[in-house]
Amino acid sequence: MKARRGDLAFSLYCWLVYAFLLAPIFIVVLASFNSGAFLTFPPKGFSFRWYVVFFDNEVFRRAIVTSLWVAAIATVISGCIGTAAAIYHVCYAGRAKEAVRLTMLAPLLLPEVLTAIALLFFVYSVGIGTRGMVGLVVGHVLLTLPFVFMNVSASLESFDPDWDLAARSLGAGRVMRFRRIMLPMIKPGVIGGCLFAFIISFDTFTMSFLLKSVGTSTLPIQLFDYLKTNFTPEAAAVSSFSVGLTMLVVVFTEKVLGLKIRRF
Amino acid sequence: MNPGRRRVSAPMLLLLPALVVLTLFLLVPYLNIFVMSFRMPGQGVPYAEGWTFGNYGKFFSDWFFIGQLVNTLWIGAVTTLACLLIGYPVALQLARGSERLRALRYGIVLTPLLVGIVIRSYGWTIILGNNGIINRTLTGWGLIDGPLPLMYNGLGIIIALTHVLLPFMILPVMSAIQGIDPAVELAARSLGAGRSTVFRRVTLPLSLPGVQSGCILVFILSVSAYVTPALIGGLRVKTVAVSVVDALIDSFQWPFGSALALILSVVGGVCVLAFARMTRMRWAVRR
Repeated sequence: MKARRGDLAFSLYCWLVYAFLLAPIFIVVLASFNSGAFLTFPPKGFSFRWYVVFFDNEVFRRAIVTSLWVAAIATVISGCIGTAAAIYHVCYAGRAKEAVRLTMLAPLLLPEVLTAIALLFFVYSVGIGTRGMVGLVVGHVLLTLPFVFMNVSASLESFDPDWDLAARSLGAGRVMRFRRIMLPMIKPGVIGGCLFAFIISFDTFTMSFLLKSVGTSTLPIQLFDYLKTNFTPEAAAVSSFSVGLTMLVVVFTEKVLGLKIRRF
Repeated sequence: MNPGRRRVSAPMLLLLPALVVLTLFLLVPYLNIFVMSFRMPGQGVPYAEGWTFGNYGKFFSDWFFIGQLVNTLWIGAVTTLACLLIGYPVALQLARGSERLRALRYGIVLTPLLVGIVIRSYGWTIILGNNGIINRTLTGWGLIDGPLPLMYNGLGIIIALTHVLLPFMILPVMSAIQGIDPAVELAARSLGAGRSTVFRRVTLPLSLPGVQSGCILVFILSVSAYVTPALIGGLRVKTVAVSVVDALIDSFQWPFGSALALILSVVGGVCVLAFARMTRMRWAVRR
């Protein structure tokens, strides 16, 4: 009986932690359906009013488009070079395997704010500056590269070099071997890694904040600017939209594609 | 065509693009920061000609900056401890508890990683602010007269950082516990140990490598965090990372900002090494 009560307390404690983890996100989503002009709790009635305001706001629309573009470009670049590096890591690295892994994960292990500053100095000293989107995209590639690498590496864990040899002895060429053996194996890893990279890039703040050019801003930056002066639930609507988009991507990956997103 | 040469160089071509990107845009910029920290401060320009140790001197001769560093490390330590105390039971439950709703619970643990930092901090503002839910409710019930200072101070930063960084504690601890052979625990039970004894003498000690890597991870991330302290800390409480960005972007002092960033990295690194030494365990590399 005593153990039973202990179990219950333990389980309750864990659910409290889950509530803590969800609290700020839940509150923001709840606030976005407020029909009043200000953030009040409990909300004054239910409405989509602030979503309408948000979609009519050109500044936010532009920020979303910028965010999507940057995320798409960064994801494509990271996807290509990260996948290639992961194949090298699993199949050819040999004794340098651990060194390759640590190098590829370096952007994740170094503080984002420091990396962003270092990159900012760098683009100025080589004369690119922050006029175009080059610095911004490079920063996002650095951020997202480890996620593609980890996902693809993980999907190759069970790869056996003998399969490649067997195919070769049966006369399959390099392209054929890649298409028929490697590609099916890494496909889930590539898709999962790229989707995760996209989410990370879409949501990141520090890197964009320091490397954006004057006049362009991504959605998190626009939201940050907006929150400095405004207190209407429009910000909550913007946030909920962003959260919804992310969740959609995750659910799509897990349910439709049947993949597991690995962050570690 | 030289087939021998092609076999050697072709796989290397796979790694090359990533290596070039990381060298050019990560290694070189970091070296650049190091060099920058010895530059002379400039007037109206980011830096001037000549070299100096003055940027480091400026830090160590000013109690304001030293106090800020101590405060940053303190916030990091408390956040790490909070993550450990809050996260360990959840990690245990995810690894060993019932299978019911496990996917959902695992998903909840991951949510802070999937939602942007600005949005999370905004959520905390609504909850903790002077006009926030907690203060409004307590005032409404007549329990307090004025708003409790939950935000714009160290406490707010610690709450928000603990929230953001919990997954980085839970996931390594969870995988460490999952790595323990259940037979070991069963053996202890069959020898007459109670459940709490098994936990204390078997599960907990065997999960310590996961605890160690979780603690190191959370500490590093909380000491170097920028957005959360900047948004939740307001103007009154500044961590070193916030000061670094201020020095670089607002007052345009590139050499001093670089020195500040390097001091933070080195001191943080020394703390981590001391912790690893103290816990006297092999470095558990994160998977």
